[in-house]
Amino acid sequence: MRIVRFMAGWQIRSYLTVIGLSFALAAPVLAAAPYYEGKTIEAIIPFPVAGGSDVWIRTIAPYLEKNIPGNPKFTFRNIGGGRGIPGMMEFGLKAKPDGLLVLVSSATNYFPVLLGDKAAKYDFRQWKPLLVNPVGGVMYASPASGVKRVEDLAKAKELIYGGISAIGLDMIPLITFELLDLDAKGVLGFRGRGEARIAFERGEINLDYQTTPAYNATVVPLVKEGKAIPLMSFGQLDDHGSIVRDPAIPELPTVPEVYEKLKGKKPSGKFWETYKVFMPSAFAVQKILWIKGDAPAEALRVFYAASDRLEKDKEFLTKTDKILGGYPLLRGDRLEKTIQQAFQIDAETQRFVKEWVGKKYRVKFD
Amino acid sequence: MWDAALIALERFASLSHLGMLTAGVLAGTVIGILPGLGGIACVAILLPFIYTMDVHSAMILLVGSLAVVHTSDTITSVLIGTPGSAAAAATILDGHPLAKQGQAARALSAAFLSSLIGGLIGTVFLTLSLPIARPLVLLFSSPELLMLCVLGLSFAGFLTGGAPLKGGMAACLGLLLGSVGSAPADAVNRYTFGQLYLLDGIPLVGVALGIFGIAEIIDLLAKGGQIAERIGLGSGWLQGVKDVVEHWGIVVRGSLIGVWAGILPGIGATAGSWMAYGHVVAMASDRERFGKGDIRGVIGPESANNSVEAGDFIPTLLFSVPGGAPSAILLGALYFYGIQPGPRMVQENLDLVFTIIWSFAIANTMGAALCLFLSPALARLTWVPFAQLAPAIVVTIFFGAFQSSEHFGDIYAMLGLGLMGWLMKQLGWPRAPFLVGFVLTKPTEQYLWLSISRYDFEWLLRPGVIVLGLLLLASIYWSVREKPGDKKIPAEESAEGAVVLGKASSILFTLSVLILSAAALYEARSFPYLGAIFPIAATIPAIFMGAAQLVFELRASRPAPGAETRRKIRTALGHFVSLLAFLLLILFFGFSIATATFTFVFLYGVAKMRWFSALIYTGCLLATMELMGRLLGLHWPQGIVFG
Repeated sequence: MRIVRFMAGWQIRSYLTVIGLSFALAAPVLAAAPYYEGKTIEAIIPFPVAGGSDVWIRTIAPYLEKNIPGNPKFTFRNIGGGRGIPGMMEFGLKAKPDGLLVLVSSATNYFPVLLGDKAAKYDFRQWKPLLVNPVGGVMYASPASGVKRVEDLAKAKELIYGGISAIGLDMIPLITFELLDLDAKGVLGFRGRGEARIAFERGEINLDYQTTPAYNATVVPLVKEGKAIPLMSFGQLDDHGSIVRDPAIPELPTVPEVYEKLKGKKPSGKFWETYKVFMPSAFAVQKILWIKGDAPAEALRVFYAASDRLEKDKEFLTKTDKILGGYPLLRGDRLEKTIQQAFQIDAETQRFVKEWVGKKYRVKFD
Repeated sequence: MWDAALIALERFASLSHLGMLTAGVLAGTVIGILPGLGGIACVAILLPFIYTMDVHSAMILLVGSLAVVHTSDTITSVLIGTPGSAAAAATILDGHPLAKQGQAARALSAAFLSSLIGGLIGTVFLTLSLPIARPLVLLFSSPELLMLCVLGLSFAGFLTGGAPLKGGMAACLGLLLGSVGSAPADAVNRYTFGQLYLLDGIPLVGVALGIFGIAEIIDLLAKGGQIAERIGLGSGWLQGVKDVVEHWGIVVRGSLIGVWAGILPGIGATAGSWMAYGHVVAMASDRERFGKGDIRGVIGPESANNSVEAGDFIPTLLFSVPGGAPSAILLGALYFYGIQPGPRMVQENLDLVFTIIWSFAIANTMGAALCLFLSPALARLTWVPFAQLAPAIVVTIFFGAFQSSEHFGDIYAMLGLGLMGWLMKQLGWPRAPFLVGFVLTKPTEQYLWLSISRYDFEWLLRPGVIVLGLLLLASIYWSVREKPGDKKIPAEESAEGAVVLGKASSILFTLSVLILSAAALYEARSFPYLGAIFPIAATIPAIFMGAAQLVFELRASRPAPGAETRRKIRTALGHFVSLLAFLLLILFFGFSIATATFTFVFLYGVAKMRWFSALIYTGCLLATMELMGRLLGLHWPQGIVFG
């Protein structure tokens, strides 16, 4: 009985195969099938499972599946370790011009390039950004530090900032301290921003920053209790690439605004140049979904179209609000120039940064 | 608060939630048993399934599986001497000798019961401390956390058995291995030799599997026969229960140590279970039996390793800071549901917090019962000729090592450390201090770094530091204090058992350790600032101890190994070569073909199975591995020849 049913199933299947085959043969003639129909897109995540980038892509992928014609399936591959470098290089090596391999990148992947790390053998210029998700950062102080509002920063003494590493995202606040001439000391070596926030709460440090979603969930309660004073945001980029107020926290001034407030003039100098180079990579274009540069034009087009549709998709916007951090999911082509510019650094700024970090934070570059 | 607890409990009356919990418990039990696969693999496997569920079901599934991993991983540790997950390594020290003496049933039932009670104490503690947990955690600043880590390191002193010099050197080697990779704050890359793989240091899974797992497998294969003589399991079960009742104090203390190791960031399950083991030895009035099958050495770490996970929920849920890798994944899952844990969690999502707590408690009980039920069957594995078990264990270990970072470096490290672990075992070098040193290097160094950069040296004067410092001194005094019974241990015999290899090999090994330490010290000269402290603190004592040890060894007279011993050593090395051959097969032909070939050839050629049985065995093993690889989304690199 079972055998008979099996045979029947097999027969039906072979019929289906024949039908499928004839459709496949007919497809070029009809030329109507969407490019991604029946295909699987693999996303490389150069970080371990459940990290920020991993959650980001896994959350938006189902919506992309729905909004890309042909409804391709997404699969994920995490290549953690080595500061994200092995994962990036794997994408560079394995991506074919078929648009079936994509890559998620984050700030960690941009800093080695900006700092001229020779181990980071990947070139963003060979790839195209499909989707971009900015993120913001908010700096805040403890009232115990004597800072009650942002103007007090100039005369504040013994500010102590907690961070992870001088060659990561912490570089932005560290540059800010130099730019604003603050009496701030960076205590580095925490394992994550969360640990630094715990240290802030127990009074070990009195100056800290968190990304906007983390700030909203974990620091806003402290602000309400009077245990934290919000100071400034790192800002976002407008269409021309200039730094403007962060739309997620428009009430807070940006770093250059605070500079003007404290110094009475527009920011300038070496540290300002450095800030302008590093801030976008760290925040304004932090999460990027990439495809290889020679992918079919249709592949790029459907991703951009999906982004346009998701912009108006109520369900998507409410469900992913926390993951996207209150920022839009932007079309890669609109930001392509900004992004490629963000990863360019002139030799002089690079030398300046490496010297400064090396001397002040005793980082030894290989 | 209690209303929320009851509402959450009602959730488990629904069939679908109960089914979810059962699924989690089953997955956790199986993954815990598989050597090298622990909580991380467990959550990673289940993660893809949760994307269609509501947040409560998802948490029930994930937490349910996490709660039992450290119950079932004991089975592998006790029966095969291979850590079921890295955190179960401490249980090997006494659990495996008990199994070899035919007391597997006693060891297992004692372990499950203490695991269960430990987990429940952890849950109660977690619940009671919800309102006060935040201020409690905030009590500990970096300097106090540093002192706790140093206290943990000092426990290594209790684990040296009768060989303080060798044990000290082993601990130093552990510290040295732990400092491979980038220093805190990315200040400098140490001993990375330009290898990206080494930037993050060697993963714990590879180290634990190598130093205990591979070494034990080679040894068991060389010994031949089965793990234990076939004697009835009999009343062993009851004995284990009696043991736990008798040593209830250890259970309570062990689980409290576990909860704290979980609450404080960066310490984790592995360090927690070693600390619990160390404390048991420290508090014992008679220490001779430890390492040779003392049931207290099973109860201590087992009551700790479950409660660690319970304690871990406090920083995860109240601060959004995961204590260990599994809870990091849990946190990621919560983000996916748009829940960012933090101070408001207890007010806004108390319901969810209690779902997590109940899942943990219920799964913990179910898991212990399931393991108890499975164990009589599993304990019989010790009667099977070990050569027949070996291929399955070897393949799973390779799989487990590779999945931790999907890099061949893990397998190289595991094999290298496996050879070292085997040599240490044969030469009477205790391996426990090595692993303790390795596990605690990262947090100790991090907190030392933070303490000095924040407070310079003023941190030494903080009251908390002084209290913990006194505790540290007491612990050191205890560990060196001569006990009347201690003198009976001959200097040459350590907890690891009799020395097998001869004088020449012994001298050669000590000399290698000396040279390695000297080379590491020389390399450390270029490390800036605090980055050099740990390598120096590890190598200079190692050099002094190594020199002293060398003098002892040159003066000692030891008979050359007899013909029987020489044969055993040759067989053991032969088996190590077969593991290398398996690695080469993977490199050339990919994992699947290599597994099939290795398993079949080993079963047919070495274990002398009939070809038909060997073929079925190979097929089943291969299918299991393929399925696991699918579930984990593992990508084995293609072989050089076929791909």
